[in-house]
Amino acid sequence: MKAFLAILQKEFIHILRDRVSLFLVLAMPIALILLFGFTISTEIKNAKISILDQSKDSQSKQLIENITASGYFQVVNFLDNEAEIDHDFKHKQIKIAMIIPPRFEESLAVERIASIQIINDVSDINIASILNNYLRAVFNDFVTEYNYQNHASENLISIVTTMQYNPELNSVYMFVPGIITLIMIIITALMSSITLAREKETNTMNMMLITTVKKINIAIGKVIPYMFLSLISTIFILLISVFVFQMPIKGSIWLLLFLCIIFMFTAASFGLLISAVSKTQLDAMMVTMMGLFLPTVLLSGFLFPLDNMPLFFQWLADIFPAKWFIIAIKDVMLKGATFMETGKYLLILTGMSVVMVGFSLSQIDKR
Amino acid sequence: MYTIVVENLTKKFGPFTAVNNISFSIKKGEIFGFLGANGAGKTTAMKMMCGLLLPTSGTAKIAGYDLATQSKLIKKNIGYMSQRFSLYDDLTVYENMQLFGTIYKIERKTLKQRIQDSLNELNMNEFSNELVRSIPLGWKQRLAFATALLHRPQIVFLDEPTSGVDPIVRREFWGLIYKTAATGVTIFVTTHYMDEAEYCERISIMAEGELKLIGTPTELKEKMNVQTIDDLFVKFVNR
Repeated sequence: MKAFLAILQKEFIHILRDRVSLFLVLAMPIALILLFGFTISTEIKNAKISILDQSKDSQSKQLIENITASGYFQVVNFLDNEAEIDHDFKHKQIKIAMIIPPRFEESLAVERIASIQIINDVSDINIASILNNYLRAVFNDFVTEYNYQNHASENLISIVTTMQYNPELNSVYMFVPGIITLIMIIITALMSSITLAREKETNTMNMMLITTVKKINIAIGKVIPYMFLSLISTIFILLISVFVFQMPIKGSIWLLLFLCIIFMFTAASFGLLISAVSKTQLDAMMVTMMGLFLPTVLLSGFLFPLDNMPLFFQWLADIFPAKWFIIAIKDVMLKGATFMETGKYLLILTGMSVVMVGFSLSQIDKR
Repeated sequence: MYTIVVENLTKKFGPFTAVNNISFSIKKGEIFGFLGANGAGKTTAMKMMCGLLLPTSGTAKIAGYDLATQSKLIKKNIGYMSQRFSLYDDLTVYENMQLFGTIYKIERKTLKQRIQDSLNELNMNEFSNELVRSIPLGWKQRLAFATALLHRPQIVFLDEPTSGVDPIVRREFWGLIYKTAATGVTIFVTTHYMDEAEYCERISIMAEGELKLIGTPTELKEKMNVQTIDDLFVKFVNR
């Protein structure tokens, strides 16, 4: 134990004396969150829309008025037939089109359900899904209003969905969980495996291995300080999100931190595993980037919605812990999920952590 | 009394045999020179003897302990210093010694005393709180040697300990080696400097993974009919 503590102390000294790296590690999350928060905005205003109104009754006109009034859409064309939709996508730069079928008002009043068709330009999936959500929000308001005025309660538009979480689709809220995930992986997995590989390169690793200290202690001693650092970074990110970008944390902050700590162990076990297989710093970097960083960016639902991916990739995403972590902390932050409500994700994450930690520890003791 | 007994030690990496069936014994307190060209298998042999690599076949007793079953006890009783200076650059002289001493579970007070003693002996007190990065290479080598001795090992393995330092420092370093050997510590040293080979009590020459020659420098020179170890080495490695 004393030997282990000595190693731990040494690792902390390494980190504290390497001022440049320390600064980078602590500044990186801050820079990332500010960058994402201020520059990347998924809010879209005045998106061009074409509408084919086949009803032309008072309710359909009311609906169109609501769409215009929402501020998100600018109606560029009222169409006469469906064939024109394609033309508008190609030549009028519309982002979305909408068809109100005949008998809209009648359907609402008699059948209590009216359907509306939305045509998306899916060449940009993100914009499409955002606009889709805007439209759904408008429909929703419209139906609520209609029901209120007609003292009805069950009328529906068939594509209506609710948007009670992050209704403005404020982008920074979406990025915070992703950034926390990336930071955890960069600091805990990448930094620890790189510095361990550096010791192999400078031969200090041999010096350590020749002593009586256990390999596992060397590796764990390496990872723990970086786990601390990543936790500090996570707290920075949360502070900035809350105080600079007014992000609400609806759930328990302790639950949030608990989730982060569990994920930290998963990331740390990746770090151990990468350390075990890589001989040089370059190896460690490449393995982390290709094997961990890219899948996390691409398959965690952080930047690209998973729902739109081919089934195979959705399955692939399921086996990466990042996806579950992001879902869980989104639930806690934006929906105020409780410990019980996140239970499923907690279980999945803990399970993955235990398996990963166990597996990587078993890899380390091989010569 | 032999402190190192190596029998038929072999290491294969796939189809390549790095060390082929070597056997030798080294007495306690002996200074043993382990020579050979680059790639002759010296480092591999040494790594096996230190417990860093598992042999493919063969056995060895190091400090009286069996290589296959008692590696932990072996580690406790050996010290190691490598050709590439391998202490931590960003730790101070004192911190490096303290780190390795604590790893070997030396009791705190004893360790403090031993560190103080070695610093005195090496005249390195003034460097005690300097980062290792900032002290001259010659001092670093001596520091690494002193660190390898902190836990009072029976055997020290020195892997080209003097490569890259000037002749004066090399001579001083050999002074340290003699002093240490006189206290009963066995010195196992690899080197590329043939004048250093003359300082050893016995030497061996490895080529192509095999141990070709073993004996005292004088014996070997007479046997092979050459003037210097240098000639001996060239003759052997080129054969």
